[in-house]
Amino acid sequence: MALTQVDQGLLSTNAQYTGFKSRIINGGMVIDQRNAGASVTGNGVYTLDRWYAQATINSKYTVQQNAGSVTPPAGFANYLGVTSSSAYTVGASENFSLLQAIEGYNMADFAWGTASASSITLSFRVYSSLTGTFGGSLQNSAQNRSYPFTYTISSANTWTTISITIAGETTGTWLKTNGAGIYMWIGLGVGSTYSGAAGAWASSNYSGATGATSVVGTNGATFYITGIQLEKGSTATSFDYRPYGTELALCHRYCKIVAFGNNEAIPAAWGCNATTELMGDFLLTPTMRAMPTVVQTATTYRVNTASFNNNFTSSITLSTGESSTNSARLFLTVSGATAGQAAVARIYTNGGYFGLSAEL
Amino acid sequence: MITYKLNKGFDGAPTSSVNCYDSESTLVMCIPFAPDNTDYQAYLKWVSEGNQPEPADE
Repeated sequence: MALTQVDQGLLSTNAQYTGFKSRIINGGMVIDQRNAGASVTGNGVYTLDRWYAQATINSKYTVQQNAGSVTPPAGFANYLGVTSSSAYTVGASENFSLLQAIEGYNMADFAWGTASASSITLSFRVYSSLTGTFGGSLQNSAQNRSYPFTYTISSANTWTTISITIAGETTGTWLKTNGAGIYMWIGLGVGSTYSGAAGAWASSNYSGATGATSVVGTNGATFYITGIQLEKGSTATSFDYRPYGTELALCHRYCKIVAFGNNEAIPAAWGCNATTELMGDFLLTPTMRAMPTVVQTATTYRVNTASFNNNFTSSITLSTGESSTNSARLFLTVSGATAGQAAVARIYTNGGYFGLSAEL
Repeated sequence: MITYKLNKGFDGAPTSSVNCYDSESTLVMCIPFAPDNTDYQAYLKWVSEGNQPEPADE
C-alpha cells in the first residue's frame, strides 16, 4: 500500500527518528580500544573510546569499562565506571569530569548560533554510591557559551534514567566543521570557577553546575554511566542502538588501534628505506578527522625481511609531508637492514599497542 | 613531566613532526605539524608558555 499521509504529529516534534539519532559516539560504552577493559587512572587521558577523563590533579579517580561488575541497566551490556581514589576537596579552579567532544559536522543541523536553533535532549542511565544533585554542562569550542545542567540521583546503587531538555542556543559561535561543535561534560567534581547556575545559557566557561555533588570528594565513591544519548528535539526517545561495526567505525574516525598485543601485525606496505629505517604507508579507513598522531605503548617490534628476523626496541613515527587524513607514512628505526628489501613488522610487547589518534 | 623532541624531516625536508615523551622518557606520541590535530595544538600551547623542544638528531 502506498504511503499517502505523513503523521503531522511526528513532524511537529522536531525530533529525529532515523539516521544517527544520537550524536554521542560510544554512548553505550561498548568500545574500549585503548584499554580493552583495563582500569586507567583519570589523568587527562582517553578512557573508553571518545570519553576523555579530565583531571586538574592526577590520581584522584580511575575509569574502567564495567568497573565493579554490577548488572548494567536493562538493554545494556556495558557502562563506564568511575571510582574515586581519595577524599579530595576540589579547588576553585579545578575540574574533574568526563568529556565527549561532538564534531561540528555531527551537530551542524542543530543550527546553534542562529535564530533557528533546535532544542536538544540529553539522556542517560546513571548509578552511584552517592545520592544528591549532580551536574554537567554543554559548551562551544571557544568555551564562552555554556549551559550547566543538574540531575538528581535519589537512590544509591540503583540505575536511574535521566533526561534533560536544553533550549537551542541562538547566540555564540558553534563550529560546523571537523573541529569541536559541542563539549559535553559530566562532572565528577568541578570547582566554583568552572561552575555556573543550572538551566540557562551563560557567556562563561562552565563545565559544571553550582552545588553539584563531588564524586572525587568521597574515597571509594563509585559513579557508573551508560546509554548516553544527545538528540535533536525536546523528547528523550529510545536509545539509538547501532551495530557494533558501525559504532567501531565511528570511533575509528578519532582513534584507531591498529595492533594490540604480542605478535599482532602492523599492516603497512613496509620496505627497508635505509640500513637503519623501515618505511611503510598505511591506509586510514575511515578517513580520520585530522592528520593523526601516532600513539603507542608497544616498545619492541619484530621485523622480518629476506635478510633477518630481529627484535628492535624502537618506536614508530609519522612523516607529516607524506601523510593526510587518508593515509599515514610510518617509520620504524632498525639496524642492519638492506635498503630496497620488503619487510613486515609486528608488535613484540605483551599488552602493547600501536595506533593513530585524531581526537578532538 | 611531558617533554618534546623534534623529528628530522623525511628526505631532507624541514622538521614536520615532534615526539612527545612522558615522565619516564617513554615515547607516547609522534605528533604531526597539522593545524587540525589537537595534540599539535597542545604542543603549540606548550611552546607558547616559553618551553622549547629538544632539537632533532643530526
